[in-house]
Amino acid sequence: MPIERLHLGQIRRTSTFRLTALFGLVFAVGVIALLGLIYGLSARELTLRTDRILRVEARRLRASSPETLPERITSALAHSTSGLNYFALQSRSGEPIVGNLTIVRSFRFDHPVNIAAQPGAHGPLRVLAIEAPTGETILIARDIAPIVDLRRRILEILIGSGMAIVVLVLGAGVLLSLAPLRRVRDLQATSRAIAAGRFDLRMPVSTRGDELDLFAGTVNTMIEEVERVVAQVKGVTDAVAHDLRTPLAHVRGQLERAIALPDADPRSVALNRAAMVDLDLVLERFGALLRISQLEASGRQAGFTTIPLAPLLDSLCELYEPLAEDAGVALRLGPIPDATIRCDPHLLFEAISNLLDNAIKFSPSGGEVVLGASLDPEGVSLTVRDTGRGLAPHERAAALRRFYRGVDAAGIPGSGLGLSIVAAIVHLHGFTLELGDAAPGLIVRIRAPAA
Amino acid sequence: MARILVIEDDPATADHIVASLQAHGHVTTHVADGALGLERATREPFDAATLDRMLPGCDGLSVVEALRARRISLPVLMISALGDVDERIAGLRAGGDDYLVKPFAPEEMAMRIEVLLRRREDPANTATLQVGDLVIDLLRREVTVAGQPVRLLHMEFRLLEFLVRHAGETLSRRIIFEQVWGYYFDPGANLINVHIARLRKKLDRPDRPSAIVTVKGEGYRFDAD
Repeated sequence: MPIERLHLGQIRRTSTFRLTALFGLVFAVGVIALLGLIYGLSARELTLRTDRILRVEARRLRASSPETLPERITSALAHSTSGLNYFALQSRSGEPIVGNLTIVRSFRFDHPVNIAAQPGAHGPLRVLAIEAPTGETILIARDIAPIVDLRRRILEILIGSGMAIVVLVLGAGVLLSLAPLRRVRDLQATSRAIAAGRFDLRMPVSTRGDELDLFAGTVNTMIEEVERVVAQVKGVTDAVAHDLRTPLAHVRGQLERAIALPDADPRSVALNRAAMVDLDLVLERFGALLRISQLEASGRQAGFTTIPLAPLLDSLCELYEPLAEDAGVALRLGPIPDATIRCDPHLLFEAISNLLDNAIKFSPSGGEVVLGASLDPEGVSLTVRDTGRGLAPHERAAALRRFYRGVDAAGIPGSGLGLSIVAAIVHLHGFTLELGDAAPGLIVRIRAPAA
Repeated sequence: MARILVIEDDPATADHIVASLQAHGHVTTHVADGALGLERATREPFDAATLDRMLPGCDGLSVVEALRARRISLPVLMISALGDVDERIAGLRAGGDDYLVKPFAPEEMAMRIEVLLRRREDPANTATLQVGDLVIDLLRREVTVAGQPVRLLHMEFRLLEFLVRHAGETLSRRIIFEQVWGYYFDPGANLINVHIARLRKKLDRPDRPSAIVTVKGEGYRFDAD
C-alpha cells in the first residue's frame, strides 16, 4: 500500500484537530481571564496601598501648624530613607516653597493621580494634593516604578503564556490528529482495494476499540456479506458453466456424430446442422454471459502491467483492417501519443476488439472507423469513432446493458453482449466508458486515469 | 496413430473425448482418477494427454505439476469448466501445453491434440517449410509459390506458417486465433475468415483450387497436395 504524505490542510480539517483547537481556545480564554483578574486585582491592591500611605502622610502634614509646615516637610524628606517619597509645598500661584518635587500643573485636592516619569527628575509617581490651612498646596507623592514594573511583568506573563497556550494547542491538535488521520488513510486505501474487487481484504481494526474501530468493524461485517454474495454468484456461475454448458456440449457432440453416420438421412443431417447452428448461438451467448460474470466477479490484477500504447493499437488495427476492408469501411489509426497504460493487455485488447468489431459492423459501406488515443493531465483516452447511425442519447445507457440490440441492429450478427463485455473490462480496470455523438456516428471513449 | 491418455472423471465427457480421438485414428486409454492418471503417464509411453482440471482426489494442476517435476514432457491439453483467464494462466504455468474450456466441441478438442502432436514432431530449428510448390523461408521470412515471391505482412506470414506446420489438419478459427495472434477470446468467425481470404488472394493461382480449404462448420485446413 503506497504511503501518502499527510498535508497540513488535511490535518486542519480533521475533527480531532478542530476539537483540540476549540478546547485550546476555551482553555486559553480561561487562563487569560484568570491572569487578567490577578493582574487587575493586584494592580488595584498596590494602588490602594500606595494611596493609604499617601493619606497617612497627608493627615500628618495637615495636622501641622502653618508655621511649622515647611519644616515638617523637610523633616519628612530627611526621614524618608527608601527614596520613594516625594513632598512639595507650593504657593497659591504654584511657586515651589519647599520640597523635592516640582510639578507645574493643577490638582484636584484629595484625589490621587498618576504622573508619568520625568527623566532626570523622578520616576512614575502617584501624587496626592491637599490644601494647607493657609491655602497653599501640599503635594505628597510616591514613586510607583516597582508597581509599574510588576504590572508590566504580569502583562508579559499574560501575553507569553497566551501565545504558549496557542502554540501548544495547535501542536497538540496536529499530533492528536496525525494518528487518526493515518488510520483513516489506511481505511481509505483498504476500502479502495476492496472496491476494486479484493474481497479478501478487511478494514484494519486496532485493539483500542474506539469509534474508528467500531466503524471499521461494521464495514468489515458488510464486506463479509458482500464477499459471501459474490462467492455465491460466482458459485452459481461455475455451476452453470459445469452443469448446463457441459450437457449442451454433449448434445452438440451427439449431433456431430449423428451427422457423421455413414447411413444418415440427408434431411435429418440438414435438420441436425440447423440445430447445431442454433446451439452454437446459445453456447456463444452463454460464453459471453459467463465471460461478463467472470469479469465482474473478478478482482484480478495479476495480469496488470504497464505497456506502451502504440504497439497494442497498431496490432488491433492490423487485426481488424481486413475485416473493415471486406465491409468497405476505411479503418484508420489516428495520431497515437508516446504514452503508456497500466492494464491487463489481453483484456484491453479484447475490449477494443469488441469496439472495433461493432464500429465496423454498424458503419455503412464507404464509412470510416478511427481508432485514436490522446493524452491529457487526467490520463489517457482511447477512442473508437465510426460513421454509422450512432445512438440517440437515451439509447446510450441502454446499450451497455446485456442483450441490448439497437433498433437498426436487425440482420447484423452478434449476441448483443459485446458492449457489456467492454463495460465489464473497463470497470475491472477502474477506467470509465463513455458513449458520445461523433456527428455522424458513435464515439466510444475509454478513459484511463494517469498512472 | 498416437497413444493418448484421457484423464477425465465425467463419464459422458470422457466418452466424447475417446470417441472423437478414436475417430481421428488414435489409441486412447481412459482413467477417471488423477493419481492413477499420473501413475500411468509416468509408466507408459503416451504421445499426448487430455487432463480434466477438476478431478476428485488429485486435481489436474497437481497432476501436470507432478509430471513436469518428474521431467516427463508429455504434451498435455488441460480441459476445464473454469474459463477465467487466471485459470488458463494457472493451467499453462503449471505445465499444461494448451487449455480448453468446457463445453467444447469434441472436434475442437481433437484438433488441439493434433496441434500438440505436430508441435512435438516439428523440428523447431527448421529453416524452411515446403508443401507442394509453396516454400517458406523461416529465416529470411520469405515465401515463394512455384518460385514466384509472394509478399506477406507480418501476421499473414505467421498465419501461413501455422497453417503449413499443421498441413492436413483441420484447425478451428478459435485455435487459429489463439495460436497465431495469442489472444484467448472469441473474436467472431468473420474476422478469421477475412484474414484467410486475404491470404488466399495472395497465394492462390487461377488454374488450381486453393490450398487453404474451408471445412464447413469446423474451420480451415491447409492441403498438402
